[in-house]
Amino acid sequence: MGPLARLNPYYRKYKHLFIPGLLCAVVSAVFQITVPIVVRQAVDSIPHFVDLYNLFGGTEVQGYLYAYFFAALLFFGFVIVVLSLLSGLFTFLMRQTLVVASRHIEFDLRNVLYEHLQKLPPAFYHRFSTGDVMTRATSDIEQVRRYVGPALMYVTRAVVVMATAIAVMTIISPTLTLYALIPMPFLAVSVFFVAHMVHSRSDALQQQYSRLTSRVQEALSGIRVLKAYTREEAEAQAFERESAAYRARSLDLALVDAAWRPVFLVLIGLATIIVVWVGGHLVAEGAITIGNIAEYIIYVALMTWPVASIGFVITMVQRASASMARLIEILDAEPSIADGEATDASIQTIQGRITFEHVGFRYEAEGPPVLQDVTFDVPAGSTLAIVGRTGAGKSTLVEMIPRLLDPTEGTVRIDGRDARTIPLQVLRAHIGYVPQEVFLFSDTVAGNIAFGALDASQEAIEQAAREADLLDNIEAFPRGFETYVGERGITLSGGQKQRASIARALIRQPRILILDDALSAVDTRTEATILGHLRRHYGRRTVVIVSHRISAVQDADLILVLDEGRIVERGTHADLLAHDGLYADLYRKQLLEQEIAAL
Amino acid sequence: MAQTDTDRQPDEPQGPQGLDRHLLRRIITYLMPYKGWVALAFVLVMAAAFLGPLRPRLVQVAIDDYIVAGDLDGLRRMVLILIAVLVGEGVLSFINAYLTQWIGQQAIYDLRTRVYRHIQRQSLRFFDRTPIGRLITRTTSDVESLSDVLSAGVVTILGDLFRIVFIAYFMFSLNWILALVTLAVVPLMLGITMWFKQKVRVQYRETRKQVARLNSFMQEHVTGMTIVQAFNREREEMRRFRAINDDHRAAQIKTIFYFALFWPAVEIISSVALGLVIWIGGLRAMTGTLTLGVLIAFIQYARQFFEPIRNLSDQYNTLQSAMAGAERIFGLLDEDHAIEEAAAPVRIDRLRGAIEFRNVWFTYDDLPADGSEPNWILRDVSFKAEPGTSVAIVGATGAGKTTIINLLLRFYEIQRGQILVDGIDIRQLRLADLRRHIGLVLQDVFLFSGSVEDNITLGDPSITPEQVRAAAASIGADRFIQRLPAAYGQDVRERGASLSHGQRQMLSFVRALVYDPEILVLDEATSSVDTESEHLIQEALEKLMQGRTSLIIAHRLSTIQHADQILVMHRGELRERGTHQQLLALGGLYRKLYELQYKEQERTAA
Repeated sequence: MGPLARLNPYYRKYKHLFIPGLLCAVVSAVFQITVPIVVRQAVDSIPHFVDLYNLFGGTEVQGYLYAYFFAALLFFGFVIVVLSLLSGLFTFLMRQTLVVASRHIEFDLRNVLYEHLQKLPPAFYHRFSTGDVMTRATSDIEQVRRYVGPALMYVTRAVVVMATAIAVMTIISPTLTLYALIPMPFLAVSVFFVAHMVHSRSDALQQQYSRLTSRVQEALSGIRVLKAYTREEAEAQAFERESAAYRARSLDLALVDAAWRPVFLVLIGLATIIVVWVGGHLVAEGAITIGNIAEYIIYVALMTWPVASIGFVITMVQRASASMARLIEILDAEPSIADGEATDASIQTIQGRITFEHVGFRYEAEGPPVLQDVTFDVPAGSTLAIVGRTGAGKSTLVEMIPRLLDPTEGTVRIDGRDARTIPLQVLRAHIGYVPQEVFLFSDTVAGNIAFGALDASQEAIEQAAREADLLDNIEAFPRGFETYVGERGITLSGGQKQRASIARALIRQPRILILDDALSAVDTRTEATILGHLRRHYGRRTVVIVSHRISAVQDADLILVLDEGRIVERGTHADLLAHDGLYADLYRKQLLEQEIAAL
Repeated sequence: MAQTDTDRQPDEPQGPQGLDRHLLRRIITYLMPYKGWVALAFVLVMAAAFLGPLRPRLVQVAIDDYIVAGDLDGLRRMVLILIAVLVGEGVLSFINAYLTQWIGQQAIYDLRTRVYRHIQRQSLRFFDRTPIGRLITRTTSDVESLSDVLSAGVVTILGDLFRIVFIAYFMFSLNWILALVTLAVVPLMLGITMWFKQKVRVQYRETRKQVARLNSFMQEHVTGMTIVQAFNREREEMRRFRAINDDHRAAQIKTIFYFALFWPAVEIISSVALGLVIWIGGLRAMTGTLTLGVLIAFIQYARQFFEPIRNLSDQYNTLQSAMAGAERIFGLLDEDHAIEEAAAPVRIDRLRGAIEFRNVWFTYDDLPADGSEPNWILRDVSFKAEPGTSVAIVGATGAGKTTIINLLLRFYEIQRGQILVDGIDIRQLRLADLRRHIGLVLQDVFLFSGSVEDNITLGDPSITPEQVRAAAASIGADRFIQRLPAAYGQDVRERGASLSHGQRQMLSFVRALVYDPEILVLDEATSSVDTESEHLIQEALEKLMQGRTSLIIAHRLSTIQHADQILVMHRGELRERGTHQQLLALGGLYRKLYELQYKEQERTAA
């Protein structure tokens, strides 16, 4: 069992569905198995009726007998219909409990998975791509669900149908039963092997499909190079090779898939023929009746699916087990950034002083340092600016403030306390974070802004939009604040997205506001407007600005220049200009750029 | 394969409602090259459709003529015939299933490669406007959606129809009254199947919607997890997720309801047929017009009859889902935006390498219909480059530098003016001829997954490994290539993740060199590399430019210093031209650009 043992609590949780469901499975199978007995009774009674009927040939009694037989045969037919109605009713109830239970478990599993995903730190998402997580959340959960519900249902039914049918058959004729059942084990085994081959070949096909897809993706992304070097024909041929490989894999699968029908057909047909052959002999010996042959033919047909399902179920269990193992990989991942023993629950709020003490960071223990020996202290209410080249470590630095990352060396302090002692919830509640890569949800504009503060009033949303200089834009949208953003709605420009992201942070009235290169897509005038709005909160809010633009950082109380993970210059705008280093260089270039743009 | 009921994935009945005959016929044309095989499949499927219903008939003979009579020798003969028929049907259905798949896969292959080739020959204007994701969908999943129709589709439909006809034939030939009795439940079966299909279709649409909601929520939140966490939204997002998950579960449970109802209903209707056969058949037997064997045969026919009926109702969905895919694919194939080739092209073998832009005007947009001025990217640009000389293009972002390169390679058509190579208008040359003589090196070096060598030759088999090594050696690239674990066989992985920026640049130089073009077009990388590789690249570049006309978007000081001619672009216009010294002396736009972009390199180089 292994990983699947993790599902046992769910069976207990839904035992109110599983127990009646399994009982229904048993009852419906029993009713189903009774039908052939009635058929045999009917078939066997017919010759007796015929004999009796002919005995009274020409008399009045014949008319009464006919009426009686008419009623008797109608009764047989009626019983058959009633039995299958009952069997059908319990089959219905079985599906309504067992399969429904599997959906409940799927629901629970998915909730547990998502809840756990929410606790996992960014480092986890570096290791597992979104696609990988999605596969686990969708197809792996589905595999497990099939095991939980349908597989259980098939097995139960299969066992009951086979046991009952074999018991009844054995009572009638052990010899005929033995012969009729010969093909059955072969059926189960063949189904298992065919299913197994189908799965492994489907996987191979799927892989080739991905290769084909990435080949197209790559060729079309590099279309400029292909065309420039007139490699279209060569690439088309390479694509044809991948397509041919895909065709080959498809046909590999088709070969085993084509075996399904013949396997069923031949093995069941063989069972029927054996019944006729051996049964014919037994009838000749007088051991059984012709009605028994009819009965056996129906039994054999009834047993087909239950026997075959045994083969399916084995592969279902194998796949479910592998899928569950993949789910457990996520479920057992440790949430490394969380409240712990060091957390001081008495801390209810923060003031906004930020202190870094010899902070260093590496993604991997042996990897190159992203940050080294970063030390600074910013009093609450002041403005800190960070400039530096791409890859200098600016984002890594600011991500440590809301503890999206924890330093691997040194300490980050907020209000003089180690950030790790502050309850995560409290720390983050007072931080407004505007990440470098804007991420908005497929929601309304209002919904996206109010993401920063649950139950925010319309006034608060408007106020935040105004401070982010987005209000005019929103009012120009077809449905104002209720306009949908993203795939199903309007596409915002880069600058609009950034400003929505800023509004989302501002609505929290945070003690610490972090703008990680958050003004790169807006023009300098808008930048000035937004910075002007921010200035009104000066003294009450610590602002951390990461930017490439001097105009955005020149008024900061402290400017840090970062290069290759280290602070190489620090001071105010005037200090740094006087120092005539990297910062002064950057400043001169931006002046030139402005001049050229003005030409 | 037997039913796995609730686990079957829904087909996609979206797009055009119903079946478009014209579209269907167009899909079928892809089977024409294989019409011999299709005909064979028809014959096989008909034979199988006959052998299946034959067996109950043979069982009837076995019972009535041999078992009842006690003729065991006759029974043995009959059983042997039965086995032969059974095995025959098994073999036929196996061959047929594989054959139809084989035909379908051939047709799918033809269609897919045709779609791909069509996409690939489109002009860059087409690629600028069409998201790559959409094109990938056309070549992959849309084509895939036709596979059911092209493989099993038509053949299976006919096979099922024939099966129904044969079963009916055997039933009527045995006993027409019982045949009518059995057929009496067919309307009931059809009714319930239609009801079910319709309900399930609606329900599947709902389920799909919920699955899509669930997946997009998950996808979005996994991608934006940092935001969820930074904004303390875990509890609220969990609540939302639970609500969506709940809706999903409700939709699934409703689907279960229909399936739970359908399968028992099918069984019950079969039993009604069975009950009727027992009742009416028994009465007929009494009057001596029916034997037991016939009764048993009918019990089997009553079961056999419903399978093809159910299959047929599935086929409708398959066809419908194929229509949507077909419509998108043919929509793509019907529109051709490839650059038009000259009707009577001028053939060239070697170029001297002279380039001339003569009053070139260009915009990426369509020309406005009302005759107003579009948003010109290039305005009246004219310049000449003599064979073997180098031209550097400088300017701020958006000045039109890259556009000049794109136009020389004829990735786009100009609206006014002329571009000449060796005095010939490039529109008079075959595209392949023009591009074969121009080596393009882009700033963002695009590496395809494959080996280093593949990336240099780009799959051209006429380039020998010796040529590749010689070219690499001549610009000093072979040293780092040899140091790679698998040297020239090293897999560069997608987008060349395992190579450094400088190394990728060097590879693209080698790529240009092995093609030995007369004209070199180069977009220099802006991002700086370490001094050592900078030095290497500079030397390599000098070798590469020797004896070639080169057109370079310059980011390196040495490039502009050594250029025979510098073109200063600003807002689509050619503002200044001359050599480095001349332009510096001029003290205009170039001087400012120089101070902004190049002067610093003077310091680091010193």
